[in-house]
Amino acid sequence: MPHQGAETVTSTDLHQRDDGELIEAILDAAGRGDVETMAREAAEVSEMTRNWATHIPWDDLATLDASGADGELARVVADLTEMWEPAHLRNPVDPDEEYALDKNAYDFYRPAGRDLLARTEDFYDWVQARRRTETWQYSRVLEAAPDSVAEITNDLGKRTRGINFNSQDYLSFNTHPAIREAAVRAMRDYGPHSAGSPMVLGNTRISDELEVALGELVGLEHVTLFPTGWSAGFGAIVGLVRQSDHVVIDRLAHSCLQQGARAATRNVVRYEHLNVEAVRQHLADIRSHDSRNGILVVTDGLFSVDADWPDLVTLQRVCREHDATLLVDVAHDLGSMGPGGTGVLGMQNLLGEIDIVMGAFSKTFCSNGGFVASRSPALKQYVKMFSNSHFFSNALSPVQTAVVREAARIIRSPEGDELRARLFTAIHALRDELTGRGLTCMGEPSPIVPLLIGNEKLARTANRLLFDRGVLAFMVEFPVTPTGSSRFRLQVQAGHRPEEAREAARIIEGAIADSRAYLSSAFGSAAR
Amino acid sequence: MYDAIVVGGRCAGASTALLLARQGHRVLVVDRSSFPSDVISTHFLWPHGMSYLNRWGLLDQVTAVTPTHTVIDIVNDGIPLSGSVPTSLLREHFRDLHGDDSGVVQSYASVRRRVLDQILVEAAAKAGAEVRTHCTVRELITEDGRVVGVRGRAADGQEFEERARIVVGADGRNSFVARTLDLPRFDERPRCTFAYWSYWSGFDPGRGQIHRRGRLGCAVVPTNFGQNMVLVWGPSEWAREFRADVPGNVQRALDFVSPELGELVRTQGTREERIYGTLDQSGFLRPLHGPGWVLVGDAESAKDQCTAIGMTHAFRDAELASAALHRWLTGESSLDEAMAAYEGRRRSQNSAAYYDYVCTLSEMRPYRHDELQLFVALRGNQEETDRFIATHADIAPVSEFFQASNLFLLNDAAKESSAGYSVFDDFAATSRTYQQNLFA
Ligand SMILES: Cc1cc2nc3c(=O)[nH]c(=O)nc-3n(C[C@H](O)[C@H](O)[C@H](O)COP(=O)(O)OP(=O)(O)OC[C@H]3O[C@@H](n4cnc5c(N)ncnc54)[C@H](O)[C@@H]3O)c2cc1C
Repeated sequence: MPHQGAETVTSTDLHQRDDGELIEAILDAAGRGDVETMAREAAEVSEMTRNWATHIPWDDLATLDASGADGELARVVADLTEMWEPAHLRNPVDPDEEYALDKNAYDFYRPAGRDLLARTEDFYDWVQARRRTETWQYSRVLEAAPDSVAEITNDLGKRTRGINFNSQDYLSFNTHPAIREAAVRAMRDYGPHSAGSPMVLGNTRISDELEVALGELVGLEHVTLFPTGWSAGFGAIVGLVRQSDHVVIDRLAHSCLQQGARAATRNVVRYEHLNVEAVRQHLADIRSHDSRNGILVVTDGLFSVDADWPDLVTLQRVCREHDATLLVDVAHDLGSMGPGGTGVLGMQNLLGEIDIVMGAFSKTFCSNGGFVASRSPALKQYVKMFSNSHFFSNALSPVQTAVVREAARIIRSPEGDELRARLFTAIHALRDELTGRGLTCMGEPSPIVPLLIGNEKLARTANRLLFDRGVLAFMVEFPVTPTGSSRFRLQVQAGHRPEEAREAARIIEGAIADSRAYLSSAFGSAAR
Repeated sequence: MYDAIVVGGRCAGASTALLLARQGHRVLVVDRSSFPSDVISTHFLWPHGMSYLNRWGLLDQVTAVTPTHTVIDIVNDGIPLSGSVPTSLLREHFRDLHGDDSGVVQSYASVRRRVLDQILVEAAAKAGAEVRTHCTVRELITEDGRVVGVRGRAADGQEFEERARIVVGADGRNSFVARTLDLPRFDERPRCTFAYWSYWSGFDPGRGQIHRRGRLGCAVVPTNFGQNMVLVWGPSEWAREFRADVPGNVQRALDFVSPELGELVRTQGTREERIYGTLDQSGFLRPLHGPGWVLVGDAESAKDQCTAIGMTHAFRDAELASAALHRWLTGESSLDEAMAAYEGRRRSQNSAAYYDYVCTLSEMRPYRHDELQLFVALRGNQEETDRFIATHADIAPVSEFFQASNLFLLNDAAKESSAGYSVFDDFAATSRTYQQNLFA
């Protein structure tokens, strides 16, 4: 054994100068062209540094040409300077750009200080840096009704026109004459109507009709409307779950569900995305020590930034085996995919089979609003009473209700099938073109095409270029996605022509390649 | 004619040579150093680093002469956390990266390079690799744009020339292979730390400790020869002032960051060697491979020492690259396919996220209010503390810990409030004082 005991320690002189001091002395001598002194100082440099800075000819400095004629001396000086002078002081960068690209929003989640107004300033500084560098993807506004092409202004007032993957209107209902006509009729019949809670007198005859139509679409006849999709998800959970109950939730489930879970109980378990086996284990675990309280298992249908969905058949069975209740959020898939627009539920033959289904109208049904559906009239009455976001919110307006009702009608008609067919033609065109260009589309073909980027800086820079090059896409980053897995979320519409989709893919590829070159980045986007 | 010539014979090179030779390939490994010898490093090995050694059957030799521990203390602005890396996360890490999770251990250690690198080089030789030390590569032989061998000078001063099917650049941050091929640097992150360290005897810190306060950090870990490695680091822009009085400022930094550790070193410690240091730690990546060559270890990606990960990453590269080369050398796949597989792992989203994590940490900005609150929230939450440590060490993916729903849940599950920690008393004023160069 070569290394036992202290006797193998080489005795270095404790008071030898440290390498920094020696390098300074060598650089000093180099400035005078004194190669002899350089060599003498170098002889004292530690073994550690010699074995590491192997590009410096430590033992041969005396043989350098002191006149500098062959450029060797200058090269050695440059290499030594790199070891001596902080790199960022040698090559200064644009501080705004550095600041804007290096941080993320969560860095500001818990500001310091007791002045609630003043402590928002740090965040605002960062927003301003992101704006100045044109990397702020939020709060864009439309200049006219969006279609497959839209004209928008970013929040600096800069205007652009581009192929629009930034609106969620999967069946292009915003420009559909029947939808517009339904809105006009409701306006004529009921007026703007903002008459308070649906528990009092906020609803109209149209609301009842809509509940019936939705019930038929998901096969669960007892439906409650909510003024927004967010409040439906949040409300369903806080309405049902109490402090000693449990929530087992997919770690990527929508924010309204995560927040609802947090608000309802401290007993929240987040399981690995889509992993039904993990759910089974968590449920067995909980049931092994708690046979008294409720367990709500929560998942999205189509996940909105990953474009995938769980095996709901098994998930529902596993829930029943453990006396747990399943809640599925079908916001993105209902209406836009599946047989007759029944979404992921219909695709898995589960109409009428899921304990609780909630959804939102804003993706396919062309309006605010959401709903909660089940087979139980008791559950309906309970949710209406105890989901505060239902009881204490103003009801969905008659115009919105009428739009959604008409949308539901079209979705279930042959025209709906036709629109979905056009939508999927555009989706395949986009995915195929992106994939053919070596880019990574996540998930399965669906109205959401997540284009994986990974690194936030790359995504922010590419987003800046896309804005100028005529593609409107939403860049998602932390906190919507986990750190380091940012992506573009491209939302396709039935109105997108396949050629538009392919054109967009070409532009996107160019923007990503140029951004990678601009940042001089070698990272790809494979997951592991 | 060799199958592979490996330039550089330390963490990346000796390991690659060892693994290739064990699979029956003809390997030559050359290093300009002679062994045993040191190289710049504070030589901390996280549990996955130790696990690699165990997988290769070398861990016992290391632990026979090196103290090991499993629980580590991490103290940020006076908020203490202690934990260890769970076996389950280690297994997952190895399964994801290498497809098998054998040999994981939970211990960590600080192993002098004169000890560790000697064990590695001897193991490579024992496995059948030809090892030439004190032997410097001075030229790459290329034919038709392809690297086919090396020329250089051997220990006896004789020039030599050798050829191989592939040349592996395992020659460190200042890689000769990369310089000769004129390879660019990607993803440069110039901000980094300065680090100064040495070896003290005379006290027992119990186990590894890592401390941070303001823009400075310090650490102590028991190492070989009955000594402790004591390290201080800070933002590289403070280095000039620090250098004005290195021994004095090492002590000043210790006293500031951890008064207890400062006191221990001052009153009971005996320094056994000179103080070592560097500020040349900016982060960058290089192209991974090209015609006739491939890079491993610091040569392919160097970054700041602040998470003490470079040696473990060199081991990882050795396993990934040797597995890929083996598939090619045995005709199972083309070189392009093999290299694409290596590249896929090394330039993945997870690696990018961790690279970003290290580079951002190495700017040594004072911890923000929300970061410190997160540390408070972790107190008493052992499972998540352990996962945080695993994330910090690149065992669990950054994206799994730093995910909104997880961070919200951590907040909600917090058992302690910030009330007990003085750093929160007047946070704004404290942060301002942290911005001042302590050594000016
Ligand atoms: C201050 C500091 C502290 C660190 N602390 C830690 C830590 O605590 N834990 C950790 O894991 N990592 C740490 N690191 C990083 C770690 O030291 C490196 O990542 C690691 O040494 C890389 O190993 P390697 O085999 O790739 O390169 P090296 O260890 O640099 O080895 C390269 C070898 O190549 C040889 N060589 C070079 N050129 C030639 C040539 N032309 N011909 C022949 N041979 C040649 C050299 O002689 C050398 O032996 C630290 C780094 C620094 C700067």
